[in-house]
Formats: sequence, C-alpha cells, structure tokens
Amino acid sequence: MKFHIIAAKDLKIVLRDRNAILLMFLLPMIIISVAGLALGGEFEQNIQISVLVVDLDNDVISKEFVEFLEDIDILDLDMESNEFAARDRIRNQEYGRLIIIPGGFTKSIMTGQNSELQIIVNPIEDSQNTVLEKIVEGYASGLSTNVVVVKTANAYGIPTYSEEDKLEIVYTAQQFMQPTPVEVVTESTTTNLAEFSPFTQYVPGFAVMFLLFTTVQIGSVSLIKEQEAGTLRRLVTAPISRAEIIGGKITSTFLRGFVQLTVLIYFGNVVFDLNLGSSTLALLVLIAGITLASTGLGLLVAVLVRTEDQANSVSNLLVLTMSAIGGSWWPLFIEPQFMQDMAHFTITAWAMEGFYDLLYFDLGLAGILEEVGMLVLMMILFFGIAIKRFKFE
Amino acid sequence: MVVNSDAIITVENLVKKYDGHTAVDGVSFEIERGEIFGLLGPNGAGKSTIISILCSLLKPTRGRVNIDGFDLITNTNDIKKIIGVVPQEISLYPTLTAKENLEFYGKIYGLSGKTLKSKVEVLLDMVGLTERADDLLEGFSGGMKRRINIAAALLHRPRILFLDEPSTGVDPQSRRRIYDTIHDLNQEGMTVILTTHQMEDAEKLCHRIAIVDKGKLIALDTLEGLLKMVGENDIIHIAAPEILTEPVKSIQQMSNVRKVSMDEGNMTIQLVHARESLAGIIETLISSGTKVESINIKEPDLETLFLHLTGSKLRG
Repeated sequence: MKFHIIAAKDLKIVLRDRNAILLMFLLPMIIISVAGLALGGEFEQNIQISVLVVDLDNDVISKEFVEFLEDIDILDLDMESNEFAARDRIRNQEYGRLIIIPGGFTKSIMTGQNSELQIIVNPIEDSQNTVLEKIVEGYASGLSTNVVVVKTANAYGIPTYSEEDKLEIVYTAQQFMQPTPVEVVTESTTTNLAEFSPFTQYVPGFAVMFLLFTTVQIGSVSLIKEQEAGTLRRLVTAPISRAEIIGGKITSTFLRGFVQLTVLIYFGNVVFDLNLGSSTLALLVLIAGITLASTGLGLLVAVLVRTEDQANSVSNLLVLTMSAIGGSWWPLFIEPQFMQDMAHFTITAWAMEGFYDLLYFDLGLAGILEEVGMLVLMMILFFGIAIKRFKFE
Repeated sequence: MVVNSDAIITVENLVKKYDGHTAVDGVSFEIERGEIFGLLGPNGAGKSTIISILCSLLKPTRGRVNIDGFDLITNTNDIKKIIGVVPQEISLYPTLTAKENLEFYGKIYGLSGKTLKSKVEVLLDMVGLTERADDLLEGFSGGMKRRINIAAALLHRPRILFLDEPSTGVDPQSRRRIYDTIHDLNQEGMTVILTTHQMEDAEKLCHRIAIVDKGKLIALDTLEGLLKMVGENDIIHIAAPEILTEPVKSIQQMSNVRKVSMDEGNMTIQLVHARESLAGIIETLISSGTKVESINIKEPDLETLFLHLTGSKLRG
C-alpha cells in the first residue's frame, strides 16, 4: 500500500503553507475568543425555557429532581399540583412544556421497577424542547443506574430485607461503578448543565466552521490543483492504484481536519475552561465522525467543479450556509422549527448536537451514537458519489 | 496480433473517441527497441491522446497496443513498471524542494533507503541541479523545472521513456541540456518516444518521425525519407499588405510553381528551384502595383513537408 506516501507528501505541503496554518488555527482561535467574550452576555440572556412541573410522587427522589431542575439557570420552573389543570395550561399555551413525575416514582427507583418521566410539549412552541429533553434524559440516565443495580441484585438472589438494604446496595454499587460517590456525580452534572457558557456554543461552533473550510475548501482545492498541474495524471501512469491515490488524499485531509478540530476544542478547554464532558473517547469519536463527513464533502465538491475558483466559491457558499443554518453561530434550538428541520441536512447541525450532548449534557459515547451515525451516513453518501464520478484523465 | 520481435511497441488500428469526436482515427505503427521516435503534428492533432493511451492514462475506444510483450489492457500494471512518463505540464509540487519531489516519485515507484538517496543524487547531477537540490521548486526557472520533470520519470530506470512536448516554453540553454539528456539516455539503451510540434525537436532528436494530423497518421519515416517526399520543393513566403488576384493567377501559371496559398497578406508559394523563379515572381508582383514588404526563401524541412502533405502550417 502506497497511500501513506501521498498523505505524507500532502501534509508536508500543508505544514509549509503559512496561510493554511493561519486559517486552520490562529483565525478560529481569535474569532472564538472575540465572539465568546463580546457576545456571551447577550447570548446567555436569550436562553430561558419555561417549564411547568407536576410532582405526583412528592418523595425523596422526585424532590431531588425538582431541586435539580430549579438549579438550572436557563429553566424557568413553576409547580402545579393538579395534573389535569397542568395539561389545561399547556393546551391553553400558557406554558410550552410540562414534566409529570408519576406517583410512586421514588419507590419504583428504589425497588428496581421501571418507571417513566413524562414530558408534554406544545407542538406550536417547541423550539427549545430538545434542550429540556436532553436535561431530563441526562438526569434519568443517572436514576436508571439505580434501577439496574437493584434488578441485578434481585436477579442474583441477593437478599434484601428492607428499603434501607436496597438503598445501601444501590449506593455501594454506584461507588464501585464510578470513582466518585453518587451525590458528587449529581452535583457535577448540575454544575455542567448550569454552566452553559458562551464558549459551549462558540468553541465547537466556530471550530466546526473552520474545520469545514479546511476539509471542504482546502481539501477540494488541493485536489483540483493536482488535476490542473497534471500531477494526478502523472501518478496514474505510475505503479500505484487509483484507490491508493484517492485514499492518500482522503487520509491527509482527514488527519489535517482531525488535528485542527481537536486542537481548537482543547484550546477552548485550556483558555476558556470549556467543559469537555467526562468521556475523552466519545469526544474523539465525535471529532472523527465530523471530520470524515466533511472530508467526504470536500471530495464531492472537487468532483463537481472544474476549476480552483469554482471550488473556492462553492466551498464558501456551502460552509457559510451550513454554519448559519446548522448552529455554528447561534444555538440550533433557538431557530424556528422549519430551519431546525432543514439544518439536519447539514454536517454542522449533527456536529453541534453531538457537542451539546458531550460538552453540556455529558451523555458519553452512548449519547452521541445517533449524531455519529448520521455523520457516518453522510460520509458514505459523499464518498460514494464522489468516487463514482472522480476523473483522473 | 502479430508482434515484430524488434518492435518494443506495436500499435494496431488505434481509435479514441470523446463525446462523438474522433481524436485518434485508426492509427497503426511500430516503434523499434532503442530508437528515438517522434510524433509530430500541430496542437490538437491527436499526438498527446496517442501518448496518453500508450501510458495507460486513457483507455482506447478500439485497437490493440503491445508494449514490450505486455498487452495494454490486460497487463497495465506490468507496463507501468517499465515506462517513464514526462508530461507536458510541470507535474511537480512547487512548495517541495527538487530533492523532495524526486524522493516522492521514487517512493511511488517502490524505491527507498540508500537506493532512493543515490538515485536522486545521480539524477540531480545528470540534470545539472545538484546545487539547487534543497531549494523549493517554485523558485526555479521554467527550464530548470522541466529538467526536474524529466528526472522524476527516470528514477526507476524505465525501458521506455515517453516525453510529451519536452522543450515547450524553455530557454535555448535548457533545451540543449534536455536534448543532451535524451541522447545520453538513448545511448544507454532506453527507447524514447516524444510528441512535439517543434520541428527542431524532431529534426535534432528523432531517428524516425510519425506525422499526425486530425487523428490520422499521414507519414512515417526517417527525417531523410520524409524530406524526399517533398522532393525539390522550396517555399517562398512573401509579405504584402494587399495582393490582387491577377498576379496570383500569373504566378500559379508559372511552370515550376506547384501551389500558391494566401493567408492575411501573406503569400506562400511551393515551387521547384526557387532562386531561378524569384526574379519573375517579384516582377509580376511589382508590375501589378503590389507593395512587397519582405521575401523569405525556405529550403525543404519538416514544416515544408507538413505543408506539402496537409496544405496547412504546422504551427498554430
């Protein structure tokens, strides 16, 4: 296999290109800093999600859950004791979202029974529903651990004589499952959610936008330049397969993008204390997924245009449109629903949702499977079309 | 397909069509082992398409090609290992050094370590650029780039070297150096095939020349053999701002004039023994009131031949 020779050559060329390095690292760092510092206050004020809560359980866990919701700055919480009255208030559009905690919720969790938290949303006014769903899902996943532990104890016939015994098993098991006690984990999650810093939006937002410039614009232009200079045709006459040539080009673009996005995200972490979530593996998988999809788009642009100028124009149009619609410049959930629907045809939207899941909700690898899956699908689609249409001659 | 044992390349009834346009139209020829073979013709004649097919860059629409015992369609990989290709463009990376460019192509041809290092050194020396080895290619002159372009095709010591317009756009010094390099390689046994629309390339380098026009092979022979086809014909070029029809008719009727053609104030006359007829031609033009600006007599050469065969000029 000789694709690595082509990839190494491409990387060497990029490292010598000062403009490319500026575009990849310095410029996004400056824009992230300026946007985060200048627009952060305005941005924070815009996020307020009103939620009505009915606590039919009124026990230990439900009270803890309500306290957890009250601690989140972006949620404007109100309580209602009557479920029917609460549903009426939603129907009358007095509130956009309702959470119902069922009766016996605490008991179910403690005795290892399945249970459900119900979220009712007003379909007319649902632009911020995704955020609420993620918050509740994040909390519910912690409670699910309790249920699983008790179920496991029961399955192995471990005797439990009282509620206290079960509680003790849950706590002990959680101490084994995680390095920190349950109470600390809950507090940590609360802290993450409460700190929706402007950099939670702007670091991944602008990092993804500049990644797209690297992979779509620089990636496609690099390929067009090889076609125009005749180096691609020369390679075809050498003993190297066409798949290896394309593989080399894809590898270099991917590695360049992967390093760029990783550096920019960690720049946010080091300089602006951006929370990266608890799973480094999940973060790297997400970065790889985003980079692969955008590398595929770069290759697709290269086969659809004829000249370097066309590649630049088409890339600029694509990257700026995807960034605007897909949530690079402002949170996706504040866009109207039709724009959110359109956004899901872009790499940016799936990338940003993946970053929210990790940097804000800390959902780990399992929490980003859908986003990574969609990015991989996009990659397959882009590469499939591009490779079929690619012309060396 | 019958393959001549002396032939290193046999081309039989080669056809290439693009979108209904026939770029190569039933071309057949053989290239002998160890010769320098030229494909001569104007831009767009089909030379580059023929060479692109022989280099396995393009697939023929029809026809058979055998290169040193390998069939072009079924043994492409074997062929790629024994050929070197110097494209018309400078197919190199401007932001890599001369040495890095050669190392890159050497690795593509499977060279590594000390072998690669020594091959690169030898070739840089051969093209006279050892002292510029570590300079970025973007700072090189056109001629220097073209010399590296040739060196990049020689790293694996190919048996057959294809050069597409090797001296286009180079200064006389670099052109001489390129000619010397091609001669040296050929002396070492390498078969060289080049396309050109520069007569000087064909006249100074090629053992045999194939003339291509509009996708067809219209003549193939040694330089001497081709020039015999023109016979004793000379060419007189006359530049005059306005030439009337009457003197043109008179000149056409002269006994040793074969053909007269007009092109925007330029008259081209093919004739036998030009110097003997020159006085009569000038007298005819002046007596008709034509203002003659310049007169140029050409001895038979490949351009004369091309004009003789196709009725049009080789350049442009």
